[in-house]
Amino acid sequence: MTDTAARNRMSSRNDHTGVPPRPGVAPQVVFGDGRVASATHVRLEDFDGPLALLLALIEARQLDVLTVPLGGLAEAYLDALASLEGDRLGNISTFVAVAAQLILIKSRAILPRPPKTTAIPLDDELDPEAELRARLLEYRRFRDAGVALGERHGVDRLFRRDAEVATDAGRAGARPPERPPLPVSALTGALRRLASVVPETPLPAEILTRTISLAERTAIIRAALRGSDTIVLQELLGGVRDRVVVAVTFLAMLELSKRREITLEQAEPWGPIIVRRVPGVAESEAEIDESLESFA
Amino acid sequence: MTQDYGEPIPSSGELDLASDGAETEGANAEPQPGELTETQLEALLFVAERPLARSEIAQLAGVDREIVDACIGDLQVRLAERGIRLVESGERIELATAPEAGRLIARYIGADAPRLSTPSLETLAIVAYRQPCTRATVERIRGVDSEYTLRTLLHRRLIVELGRSETPGRPILYGTGFDFLERFGLTSLDELPPLEPEIGARLFDAAQAEGAGAG
Repeated sequence: MTDTAARNRMSSRNDHTGVPPRPGVAPQVVFGDGRVASATHVRLEDFDGPLALLLALIEARQLDVLTVPLGGLAEAYLDALASLEGDRLGNISTFVAVAAQLILIKSRAILPRPPKTTAIPLDDELDPEAELRARLLEYRRFRDAGVALGERHGVDRLFRRDAEVATDAGRAGARPPERPPLPVSALTGALRRLASVVPETPLPAEILTRTISLAERTAIIRAALRGSDTIVLQELLGGVRDRVVVAVTFLAMLELSKRREITLEQAEPWGPIIVRRVPGVAESEAEIDESLESFA
Repeated sequence: MTQDYGEPIPSSGELDLASDGAETEGANAEPQPGELTETQLEALLFVAERPLARSEIAQLAGVDREIVDACIGDLQVRLAERGIRLVESGERIELATAPEAGRLIARYIGADAPRLSTPSLETLAIVAYRQPCTRATVERIRGVDSEYTLRTLLHRRLIVELGRSETPGRPILYGTGFDFLERFGLTSLDELPPLEPEIGARLFDAAQAEGAGAG
């Protein structure tokens, strides 16, 4: 499409280049034959619209927007347009529209017109040059205002209270951490509470069989019965938390009962188990079978 | 919720910009006869950490709108020499740091202002000076499709949507809000550097006369 535009431009230009500009109409802008060489070099990506481009062309020639005959800029504008990148197709029509306007203005300046004695351009027919110039001037006002704004952008800006921004600044080291540091006592206290909650680490099974043996628990029961004739199993196991110890002690008790060293009494389920030493029975020296096969 | 609106629209009665914020976000306190001092207003704005509508303040304090306006004016004067300024964008006001402190704060925050392109700046200028204005206004002045540029500015919160025009098609009206004022170091739109409409227009008339004489 750029090619088409370029071709159109060529044809339209040919229509006009042969005609010498009327003296007094476009004296300030003289375009040489070597069009490429004389073309104003503008970086088009800087220009977002046709008015910006046209204004830049005028300013590059140090001409006054208020007085420059716009028709005289048609060719320079078309040259600049020809180098427009293809990816600006979305805007090409607006550029072409201005180009058409420029060519119209130029043609009006060149062609003889019915003499108009008085300067009354406003009524039915708007002077295209005046209209375009007015647009240029209005555009320039805001372009310059934009430049002026750009100069103060972010220079002496205002800041509002913004927790997020302040925190970000803290990350950069400018602000102390948001939360107060934890006191050491809180940490030690928490650790102590934690220690009381977490159960003791259960020992590995093979160590258990060695440390908590039937013989050992049997010895404890016997030792307790030496002090008194009667003991209550639950009392004997009062401080014990380890279930294995409880179970092994219970088995030891059964073992002693089997050997007739003790008698057992329990009035009701879950009630206290009363262990009574059988008087006169010597403690058996026989080795206690730790395999529990005798219970099978 | 924190979206702010710029200048109220003088011509369009449909756009009731201020009141909705006050009703939805405002306190559930009953409006009751109360008082509002500069000190109270300053404290309120300090805690709010967001722009407050004048009507919202009036409702909170239980005083008339005129009292709020007067109070704001007084506070504005009192803060003029302080590090905190009262910034106003139409119906809403907020506290912000003084422009003189901008560089220092920027160093503290580590804020870097993103560069704005020329098209963005001229579009922003049109919206700022001509607000409320539609996309069509922007495009007429710039002579080019400006949807993308406007969308970028909206995204950066440099411009805000003020509502819709009552003209056919009900186009969106754009204006500026607090972010614009803050980033350009303005405490109100009145501080915008003046456009120079007169000079351009006068010279244009002269040129027109001259051009007509030559043609």
